[in-house]
Amino acid sequence: MNFKGTLPTLILETLQQEPSHGYRIAQQIKKRSKGVLDFKEGTLYPALHKLENEGLVESYEGVENGRPRRYYRIKKSGRTILAKDRAEWRQLSQAVTLILGEV
Amino acid sequence: MTELETWMQRATRRLSKDSIAQVRTEIQEHYESAREAALSNGATTNQADRLAVTALGDARVANCQYRDVLLTSAEARILREGEWEARAFCSWRKWLLPAIPGTALLVAAACFLAGAIGPARVLLVGGIGMGLCFGVHFLPVYTPSRARIFRPLRWIVLAGTLLLAFGPDALKWSWLLTSCLWPLAWIEWTRISIRRKLPVAEWPKQLYL
Repeated sequence: MNFKGTLPTLILETLQQEPSHGYRIAQQIKKRSKGVLDFKEGTLYPALHKLENEGLVESYEGVENGRPRRYYRIKKSGRTILAKDRAEWRQLSQAVTLILGEV
Repeated sequence: MTELETWMQRATRRLSKDSIAQVRTEIQEHYESAREAALSNGATTNQADRLAVTALGDARVANCQYRDVLLTSAEARILREGEWEARAFCSWRKWLLPAIPGTALLVAAACFLAGAIGPARVLLVGGIGMGLCFGVHFLPVYTPSRARIFRPLRWIVLAGTLLLAFGPDALKWSWLLTSCLWPLAWIEWTRISIRRKLPVAEWPKQLYL
């Protein structure tokens, strides 16, 4: 399952926990959604670049297991957008739940 | 050719050289991590390779998304040409080029005062047109907010100049104007795209104009 347009928010949420590289971000999203949210990993990097262009995250060179990796960390503006997205999502999911009649 | 190489070639189609290098590095890193994870889960080498490429998804979809956020080869060319233009304006021609439209405008004013309305109009149009080409580089437009005000103003001045040049026949000649302005519109459209992709700190002067 993959809700279109939610990937940037999921990336921001993952980066809020700790700075990370692309592969780990993808694994974290799959793990935290218990495998329900499955997106194609090739689309992760364009989303990361978009967030970087918008000034919501920043990247830096890091090393993992002796191998150079590009790490991403969330910026203050990214945290603000994440808080806004989270509030919107809660409102939307509550509204849909009301309509579908689920408890 | 490996499956990964095929994927990379499709995903980096029409991107600039720098963008291609960036995509290759990050996808290679990702692929190696995915491959190692698959191998540690007991997959064979072939299975691990295939799993790692399959997880990347459709290369064409990735290419569309990359072209939205990274510079394409056409955009990189526009930037390069702009750098050449900027260097030309920083050389000895720096003050000669704006002097030409300035002179044209002065002569236009003199013609107007002397009652030669026809030549005055031609010189005025030429002066404004050349000023738009050569003079804008000397304006203090180097912040995004100033640029947002300047760009629509420039198009308004350009439209006004064309109306002045063609007078009441402007509509009749609109097909010619549209075809002549098409390259300008295309460059402007490409610059809009570049502005979205580059952080403001990396904007060259031409992106403000």
